[in-house]
Amino acid sequence: MAYSVNIAVEAPVENQIQEITYDGQEIYQSPLSMSENLSKLAQKIDFTKQLAEDVKKEPTDSSESCDDEANSKETLTYQSSLWPWDSVRNKLRNALTEVCVLSDVLAVAKEKRYLVLDPVPQEPQEVKQMVQVFARKKALAGAASVLLNGAERLRTSHNEMARNRNTPDFHIELLRLRQNWRLKKVSNSIVGDLSYRTAGSKYAQTGMFEVTKAEEEPTAGSSPPPSPTNAAPPKPGSALRVTVPSELQGVAYIEVLCQKDQEDLCSSTINLLGSGTTSTNPDVHWQQKLEAAQNVLFCKELFNQLAKEAVQLQAPIPHMVVGNQIMATVLPGIQLIIGLCHSTGSDKKPPPAPPPQKSDHDHVLEHSLHQLLREVHHRNTHHPFPHPASGAIGPSKKRCLAGPIAADRYDLLQMTQGQTLLEQIIQQAQHFFMRLRTEYVLDTIAKEVKDPLIVSHWNALNSPTQSCVKINIMTHGYDTVCRTSLVVHVGEKSLKCVCRDGRVMHMSYEPQELRDLIFCQIYQHQINAVQALAKCMGWQFLSNSAHLGIGAVEPLGNASSCILASPTGDRIIAVRCEPQTGVQVAIAQSPRKDFFPGQLVKERKWENLGGSFKEVRWDKMEGKNFLNKMELLMASLTSS
Amino acid sequence: MAQSMGTAIDSLNAAYNSNIIPNQEYLLQGSILDSAVEVLLHRLRGLCDNVDSSPETFDDHEMCFSIRVMNTPPLVLRVRRALDHPEMPWQLRYIGQPELGDKSRPTIVRSSLDIGTSSTVVEFLTELGCHLDFEYITKGYMFRKGRMKITVSKIFKVNQGNEGGSDGSGGPPKPLSQSYLVEVSVVAHNGLDAVAEDVRAFADQLRPLVLLDKIDYKRL
Repeated sequence: MAYSVNIAVEAPVENQIQEITYDGQEIYQSPLSMSENLSKLAQKIDFTKQLAEDVKKEPTDSSESCDDEANSKETLTYQSSLWPWDSVRNKLRNALTEVCVLSDVLAVAKEKRYLVLDPVPQEPQEVKQMVQVFARKKALAGAASVLLNGAERLRTSHNEMARNRNTPDFHIELLRLRQNWRLKKVSNSIVGDLSYRTAGSKYAQTGMFEVTKAEEEPTAGSSPPPSPTNAAPPKPGSALRVTVPSELQGVAYIEVLCQKDQEDLCSSTINLLGSGTTSTNPDVHWQQKLEAAQNVLFCKELFNQLAKEAVQLQAPIPHMVVGNQIMATVLPGIQLIIGLCHSTGSDKKPPPAPPPQKSDHDHVLEHSLHQLLREVHHRNTHHPFPHPASGAIGPSKKRCLAGPIAADRYDLLQMTQGQTLLEQIIQQAQHFFMRLRTEYVLDTIAKEVKDPLIVSHWNALNSPTQSCVKINIMTHGYDTVCRTSLVVHVGEKSLKCVCRDGRVMHMSYEPQELRDLIFCQIYQHQINAVQALAKCMGWQFLSNSAHLGIGAVEPLGNASSCILASPTGDRIIAVRCEPQTGVQVAIAQSPRKDFFPGQLVKERKWENLGGSFKEVRWDKMEGKNFLNKMELLMASLTSS
Repeated sequence: MAQSMGTAIDSLNAAYNSNIIPNQEYLLQGSILDSAVEVLLHRLRGLCDNVDSSPETFDDHEMCFSIRVMNTPPLVLRVRRALDHPEMPWQLRYIGQPELGDKSRPTIVRSSLDIGTSSTVVEFLTELGCHLDFEYITKGYMFRKGRMKITVSKIFKVNQGNEGGSDGSGGPPKPLSQSYLVEVSVVAHNGLDAVAEDVRAFADQLRPLVLLDKIDYKRL
């Protein structure tokens, strides 16, 4: 379908555009008027030349006169005489000179030896710099405002926290935790170790705990706290929470009981903790929680070690391990029960069976057990250093010496054997009982026997398996006259008594043996005291016998006796002491009172042989004690 | 009797073959000037075991004997005694040629055998034909970390009249240099490269105080 289109045909614009204003309007050069056109044409005519030459030269001259600057040297035409083109020629020559000078200058400047072209510094454009300054100022102001906002927020939150000091900062708490416990960062959680591994323990159970941030209460943070009376937690709590493994939660301790033989060996039950501090309270401070968990781990290790040893050891009466109790026989009739009491908070209340055994819990032995395990740990880490220094670390001094002194196999085996924990604690328990029995025996004797006084001094320094007691037997008022001392070394299952005269006697764990010994010593003391007293009184000592072979056989020990004569020799005292029946004293007179010469014995002189002994009724005798009575007797029989 | 001796030798051979005798020493050595040794001691005290006890000092007198057998390099034996612990046995030590290995081996490995002896060992060696090459006194501190032994010691010259410094007749022994010798070593059986790695790792913790490295004696 063709539509007719109107086409306008115009001539192109004849006039040149002189100027285009800012608003797009074109200003045309006005067309030349007639006179202007004519003058323009006339300028092109060279009136000085001939017509023919004019015609030829005209185009060349006109071309030269039109573009006067770009001509080269070959257009230089020297005119011999002045003519109307002289001005043109001069102008051209000047132009040529200028151009030559310019080209020379350019050539020299290009060489850069004598002349250098430098750019002329442009004047700074002030308008643009102000814009830059303003732009930068705005940008800096924006950045400053961001920073100031942030700082303001931090300051307000810090002031908030400083005001509510209830919940301490998480990081400060973490620092405190780190000062006490070993912590490590694993991926993005904080893990700690509360085991004794670095202290020398070789127990397999790990003691890892985890540290997390405590839950934030809704009132904390940047918002201003509401009135403190509502919704505030009763306890401030801490900013971090520790999670201990479930098997280490709660509180544990090792209970040590010594009890007499029960008819039914399994009847003794160990009650779990009745005493307070259940750790169900989640607000308990992390330090206490961690310490309790560490204690639980330590008690577990200790019990584990003891149980292993109880199963492995061969004892005359085998040890029994039942559940969390170990039963070992210390002395015949006395058992040592070691139990692990572990109470987690989630247990129900223990049955209200009265725990009478609770008061028997021996804290000393429990402490000893702890110490023994710590010693094992210590030995695991503190190996003796070698001297000289190039030796190997590890062997003890005995082991190092074993080579040079040619120790044999038996010695080496002896060196490797040591005592187990259970053996050591049983020894300590045995010694404890021996000491108790010895004390009891001595106290009982001291209460019973008043005549010579029994004084016992226990040594202040002793070891867990040995103690010493020094016993003095003396008579009141005569302690400088005679004193019998003996030392009793109390061991684990035996006693050793060392007397002043050098006799050493070994006794077993039966208390009766010690009692008998002391009684024997008492009566020997009496005889010795009488002898010493006699010396003081001036009486002569005729004979004595420590183990008298005459008279009735004594059920306990032997009788001892001595015979004393008065200074003038006319009286004789005979004393016989023995533990069962006590003291018997008899006196005799030297010239017999009842001498009658008979058929066999005729002469008078035989009366000097001395009469028979007459027993003294000792209970009627005056005097506070035996020696006093003897003194009075001797005094009364002395006749000067 | 013969049977028991047979079994003893057999058990010794078995022990030797089954790689349980510790006869290799993995070693790194370095030195530190006197002015800086206090700092090193503090750092070692913190890094090593048993922080609570003060560092162990030692005072040893070492004599080096050698015996020449024809056509073989001389056998070198060292006799060492502790001057501060005269009741401890003397020590006879054989140290083999050190193997430096390449860059991948972290420490020097050399075979080391030490035997406890009585004090008559010097007479014994002299009777065998050994000559005393040199002797010195070494005094310093010992530390321990696990199986590693770290010694920081100063070498002194033995005064002729002194016989090891026990009596003061010759005067105190003179130090050889103004520095201390630092050694980290482990004595273990063959083929334990993990131990060598541990030694290297520990030595790196002492940088830049002291640079412990494999020292090649032949190139000194």
